[in-house]
Amino acid sequence: LKPPYGRGALAAAAGVLAVFLSSLAERPPARAAPPESAPVRESDGRTWVGANDLARLLSATKFWRHDVRKLVLRAGDHRLLLTADNPFVLIDDRTVLLPDPVRSVRGELQIPVALLESLPRDSTIARLHVDLRRGIVLQVPPDGLIGTPRIAIESDATRLVFEADQSGGTAVTSRSRAHFLVHWSGAFVGTLPDSLPAGSLVRAIRVSPAASGSTLELEVAPEAAGFRVTREPERRRVTLAFAREKRAGDESFAPEGPAGPRQLKTVAIDAGHGGSDLGVVAGGVAEKDLALTLARLVSAEITRRLAARVVLTREDDRAMTMEERAERANRARADVVLSLHFDGVPAGAARGATAFCPPATYAADPATPATPSAGAIEVLPWRDAAMRHAVESRALAERILAAIDLRMPEPTRLREMLPCPLLGVDAPGLLLECATLTSEADRARVTSGAGLSELATAIVDGIEAFQASR
Amino acid sequence: MKLLTRLWIGALVIALIAWATWRWAAGPRTTEPTQGARIDSTSAGFKAARLFFAAPSGDSLVSETREMMEVQSLHDRVAALVRELDRGPTAGAVAALPPGTSVLHAFLDDRGTMTLDLTRAFQQGFRGGSTAEYLAVGSLVRTLGVNLPEVKRVLITCGGAPLSSLGGHLPLDRPIEVAMLP
Repeated sequence: LKPPYGRGALAAAAGVLAVFLSSLAERPPARAAPPESAPVRESDGRTWVGANDLARLLSATKFWRHDVRKLVLRAGDHRLLLTADNPFVLIDDRTVLLPDPVRSVRGELQIPVALLESLPRDSTIARLHVDLRRGIVLQVPPDGLIGTPRIAIESDATRLVFEADQSGGTAVTSRSRAHFLVHWSGAFVGTLPDSLPAGSLVRAIRVSPAASGSTLELEVAPEAAGFRVTREPERRRVTLAFAREKRAGDESFAPEGPAGPRQLKTVAIDAGHGGSDLGVVAGGVAEKDLALTLARLVSAEITRRLAARVVLTREDDRAMTMEERAERANRARADVVLSLHFDGVPAGAARGATAFCPPATYAADPATPATPSAGAIEVLPWRDAAMRHAVESRALAERILAAIDLRMPEPTRLREMLPCPLLGVDAPGLLLECATLTSEADRARVTSGAGLSELATAIVDGIEAFQASR
Repeated sequence: MKLLTRLWIGALVIALIAWATWRWAAGPRTTEPTQGARIDSTSAGFKAARLFFAAPSGDSLVSETREMMEVQSLHDRVAALVRELDRGPTAGAVAALPPGTSVLHAFLDDRGTMTLDLTRAFQQGFRGGSTAEYLAVGSLVRTLGVNLPEVKRVLITCGGAPLSSLGGHLPLDRPIEVAMLP
């Protein structure tokens, strides 16, 4: 007979090994998951979901009775009673037998996903979908699921037909051909092709989870003249059609400006803040002073390199309203407007440059009426005039950020959101946070004379690239 | 026959002693299988909420799941979410909301537009540039949109008055669409 402590040590070692192996087996898959989802765990040939994840997805309130090891989940009008090491689950007044007992693993109950098939289906409780391909349980949004698109390529059009539980929550949020965005309130659970056939007016498709639903990003060919979104709730499908020739009822893309090199006659440079408005202050440096110095350097560089007139919205340290800045740029008939700022993020390790430009939500012209009497007039408030130049603004932002990327070590990023300095501006433009003053490295670079000159050179490189190419 | 009975009784006693010893040695069983859950006999339970904070790099928002006491009214739910955002992340992210921000009023209309009136600390406590502004507004709007699916857009006011912008970079004079945030 072996001594008892020998058996105990052996059992402990076996336990540690089992926990280690189970942790390997239960590691969730390392791939991006949509926001309202939870990983499933594969173990012993079965699939499990954690009780905390299940409660979160069901928006359920949890009650734990430790004396009898029972967990109550209250979701909407329903009540689920789960017992550790017990395969019976009480759902309202029904008893459901699971293929395996609910188990406790490292302090959390694990529930066989088979339970999801028995959950009540009404509006008071969230609907869940098991996506074994991605290894997740997904909370089905109120607008349901969207499946794999069927792609039909015809001589004059390309159609993407999506199976969709409900078609109401579909909206085009960017009409730019290069970054055509469709927001779905539903969750995308289909697959997308890696490449599209020749002749397709859609060159690439990507999908990304959004704050509520999914966003589909398409790259549309320049030959496309119009598009149409057809919602067919009775057939549970949505069709995106892109046509080479615009037909009655088709919608327009965002205005893109004439083809060929751009003629920049006047460039408006807006130095951010001023007067009593210091902007970001970090390490004894005020944003308003740095922005004005940079604006003068950029102005001198443009005058030296480009055949364009430069207008500074402010030439000294004074406070100006946004309306005054916009008025100066508009009166000068600026071809582009560049509002120069320096960023600041109090906490964290943020650094680098960020460009804010208007989103491409405005159409070149209203949808061609299906009948002559059904004409539509779209009114754009003057505040949003810069939205008419969204595609050009993004092109300018991309080129300036690319030039900064080439010359500077800091990261760059682009965000589509109409910034205050472009309110009421009728020209392509952007707000450029040239560097982050709260980052010591960024601040050291831009407060040295050479660093700021290099930044000015990079900005003008970008403007020059924008002027030369399309 | 008597011997057999005695043997049976002896075996039963030994088995009972062995079982009692095993139970004593095993100690009490684990009593915390599910974090954050409450005893059923109380009237309140816990519910998971997803809170959005800034990534340390400032590039994006990152979410954190937190257990919160269940509350019933819309105002209390919104106030609790904003209170948790103000409390900040537990690890791996940074707070995006200006410190001291809390909810004065929250009103949701039947078209999904929430008018959210925040204390003056939201404006007065703000420091930073466009990115800090973007992250503060994004943190607030995404947290409300994800935890209250009925909220489709949020109009932020401050101290009962309209707020044109938090720091002068991004306009807040119109409701922010939840769907427009990446």
